[in-house]
Amino acid sequence: MNIHAYEKLWLVAAMLLIVGFIATITYGSVALGITMVGDQQDTVEPTELADDDRFDDPRVEQVGENEYEAYVVAQTFSFQPNPIEVPEDSDVTFYVTSRDVIHSFSLVGTNVNTMVIPGEVAEMTVEFDDPAEYGVVCNEYCGPGHHDMEGEVHVVSEDEFDLTELEADGPDEVETGDEISVDVTTENRQLEAIETTITLEIGDETLTEDVTIEGGETLETTFTVDSATLGEGDHDWTVTVDDHTDSGTVTVADDLEDDGGDDDE
Amino acid sequence: MRISKGGLLVVLALLAPLLVELRTVLAWVNVELSVLESAAIGLILVVAIFVWAFWPDNGNDGPTSDSSPR
Amino acid sequence: MSNAYIDQFPAEAKVIRAAFYSSFFALALGGVFGIIQTLHRTGYYRFIDSADYYTVLTAHGVFLVISFTIFFLVGIFTWAITTSLDRGVEDLRFTWGWYGLMAVGITLTGVAILAGFTDATDISASVLFTFYAPLQAHPLFYLGLVLFVVGTWFAGVDWFRSWWAWKAENPDERIPLPAFMVLTTMLMWYIATLGVAAAILLFLLPWSLGLIESVNPLLTRTLFWFFGHPVVYFWLMPAYMMWYVLLPKISGGKLFSDPLARVVFVLFLILSVPTGIHHQYLDPGIAEGFKFIAMTNTMFLLLPSLLTAFTVVASMEHGARQRGGEGYLGWLKALPWRDPVFAGMALAGLMFAAAGFSGMINAGMNINYLVHNTFWVVGHFHLTVGTAVALTFMAVTYWFLPQVTGKQLWSRSVALGQVVLWFVGMTFMSNAMHRGGLLGIPRRTAEPQYDGFEFEAAVGSVAELDAQIALGGVLLTLSLVLFFANVVGTALNGRSDDLPDNSYAGTLSGPEDAPQILDNLKLWTAIAVVLVIFAYTFPLLSIIDRGGLFGPELVELPLSTLDLESISALALAVEQSTIATLETTADTATAVIAGVIP
Ligand code: HEM
Ligand SMILES: [Cu+2]
Ligand SMILES: [Cu+2]
Repeated sequence: MNIHAYEKLWLVAAMLLIVGFIATITYGSVALGITMVGDQQDTVEPTELADDDRFDDPRVEQVGENEYEAYVVAQTFSFQPNPIEVPEDSDVTFYVTSRDVIHSFSLVGTNVNTMVIPGEVAEMTVEFDDPAEYGVVCNEYCGPGHHDMEGEVHVVSEDEFDLTELEADGPDEVETGDEISVDVTTENRQLEAIETTITLEIGDETLTEDVTIEGGETLETTFTVDSATLGEGDHDWTVTVDDHTDSGTVTVADDLEDDGGDDDE
Repeated sequence: MRISKGGLLVVLALLAPLLVELRTVLAWVNVELSVLESAAIGLILVVAIFVWAFWPDNGNDGPTSDSSPR
Repeated sequence: MSNAYIDQFPAEAKVIRAAFYSSFFALALGGVFGIIQTLHRTGYYRFIDSADYYTVLTAHGVFLVISFTIFFLVGIFTWAITTSLDRGVEDLRFTWGWYGLMAVGITLTGVAILAGFTDATDISASVLFTFYAPLQAHPLFYLGLVLFVVGTWFAGVDWFRSWWAWKAENPDERIPLPAFMVLTTMLMWYIATLGVAAAILLFLLPWSLGLIESVNPLLTRTLFWFFGHPVVYFWLMPAYMMWYVLLPKISGGKLFSDPLARVVFVLFLILSVPTGIHHQYLDPGIAEGFKFIAMTNTMFLLLPSLLTAFTVVASMEHGARQRGGEGYLGWLKALPWRDPVFAGMALAGLMFAAAGFSGMINAGMNINYLVHNTFWVVGHFHLTVGTAVALTFMAVTYWFLPQVTGKQLWSRSVALGQVVLWFVGMTFMSNAMHRGGLLGIPRRTAEPQYDGFEFEAAVGSVAELDAQIALGGVLLTLSLVLFFANVVGTALNGRSDDLPDNSYAGTLSGPEDAPQILDNLKLWTAIAVVLVIFAYTFPLLSIIDRGGLFGPELVELPLSTLDLESISALALAVEQSTIATLETTADTATAVIAGVIP
């Protein structure tokens, strides 16, 4: 076969180019550690995510000093949780799966981008530096509402960040003179202990309690208020811990036509 | 004419990617052209190419228009 | 009396005409949907519901990359086989048979897609041309695709029959280059389509009919890409063939090297399929190692394209020098830029070079994170299939139409304007798509405008990008209008006796320089199969092992409700009417026109 001298030259140059590309990408993988989404994670049952330890409650968890894990569920046409809040200067590993069809989880303007396939869990570790807000889009067509599928990732400053979960529960109605008790459950999902104040506001009353919650612990507190001081009527209450609030309404009435309550003390 | 009409058309067409990419490349060196500025540059280039294409060639094989008797 | 194709092979010319008209019909439909979605996405003009956008997009994708490209391919492959072997097809009924099968198939698929626009039926198939499960289309959609692909298989059989018959009569001759290109491309196609055939016949069709409960979404997706990457070479190979056998002739010279052309097609045969996983770099459930293998194969697949670039430019230069061109770059001026066939192909080739750059970015697996499924990708393939292929097809149409109709081209000037307009329009549209993609603007989205955040442009603004895309889209649509004006105008012309001969480019370095082994199709096929087995056995086994052959229980998203009776009735009706109409489209059209015009 006779090959023109220029053509030989071109051939060699082409091969060098190709080998150069492969070398660059290998360098990116090995030296810079840009790994690909792979098959590290076991499969899940898309229809049974409610019973899955990791995905029953989509959330962010702290697993090391600056290390976090985010469990994210994509479904037509939303992401859970939303927004996803993580602290600055952290390494966050995202685990993303789908409840229904194929979606993607893509942080706009960054190279954080993965397909989300039902039955599979995409794993991706991302370093976040400064506080910022990123949009999240689904860039795989997933049905007629695909263009409405969006979310946000908020990278917040150390001071603003916490992983505190607050839940408060109170009675719907009480008879005048009885006590109103509001149960407050505060969970600290971070590894370090937090010192904070739990506040209940009801009517003109404000009750506070200073607490320390160890890392990973849940604290139960109960506030009690005498309904007589509030008087008859509807009263809104709010429980606050840092930036978190939970609220409800209690009705105080003179005569409750309720049946069973044996409340003469 | 220094170039065939078809050639001229193709040269003008090639201006499109040139202009469009010029903006991107200049942005790397922090020169940001607005759309209007790019269009103006485009216009200048178009005129320049036209002038070049229709300018009488001063080579030996002069343009045909020169052959008309004076 | 001229010696055009229609004079040599009148019966085959009719088949090719039918294939071309089917192709152009699809192009027209695709173009209409293209401009609708361009104006909708960019927000300039929205008259459809955003939920219907995806029906439009499905139609745009399927009509353009399945019907337009492949009908055109069967047309020129039939031309290439008959011309280069200098013999008619073995059995004309068989030839019409596969054409009919393809036509019926794509009609069924098309009906299933377009039915999505009306509420009158429950039929719909807005699953895009990738039809990823658990999105579920109406069974007609899958059925039509199967028939269409089977039609192409028979087309391949037809061409192989011609070659076998020719070989029996010419035992010692080398396979003529165009025939060689057809045969290698078809071998690649047979291997590639096994993937999509398996995906549809084993899983998606039974699932859409309710015969099986569920499918493994990663498995059907992987089988799709087993086919989905090589299909891009199926679009590209006819364009490459035109660059090798027609372009040198039109530039006034000869093909630089026949042996290297053969090497290129052999490389495509063996390397096209074991690369499909590069579309799944970001899929969970596939190990990084498999992705790495696909990446290296992909990079080596650059080689045949780089070789093509050399040969094509060298052949053009040879042509230009034959025409009196001189100097280092001065020869460029001597090329026949006035000729739309030449100018169109040259501009298409130039855009393909640009596409090569964005393609290398896509192929780099860790860089792919940045661009995967963004608008960048759409910009990329409008340069490849949307220009390198589509513009080449339109340009060579100006050469082929006179050959297969026996009529003069309506207007060469309009044709030149058309190809140049396509180039300019695509420059605007594709550039802005690429840049938009880098900002994170996703593809396949009716309204890339979100509540919670905005895209931040590096140069200019997103509004400017939208304007540029809309401008490009409008220019492209105008270009299509000019193209169809020429096709129709030509059909209305009378028969001409003054047509160029049907012939293709000679070679500077001929087949006698090509080692005999290059023509050993069995060997290359065997190597291709082995490479596919290497590249795919383990990924497929691992996917099945993880997710099960029929997958986990799924929440399917049917885009239609099933009604078996209406399907079979409809299928029958459509089948009968298409067979009746399509086989005679070309004649009827000409007959009507002839009747109208005195
Ligand atoms: C008038 C000319 C054309 C216009 C205005 C146009 C416009 C567009 C636009 C705006 C999209 C992106 C839609 C989205 O992702 O949301 C698109 C997608 C696409 N276009 Fe075109 N296009 C044109 C011609 C072509 C041609 C000639 C081809 C191929 C031969 C083609 C193939 C495709 C394909 C395959 C897609 C992707 C479909 C999908 O994502 O499922 N287009 N087109
Ligand atoms: Cu989506
Ligand atoms: Cu590919």
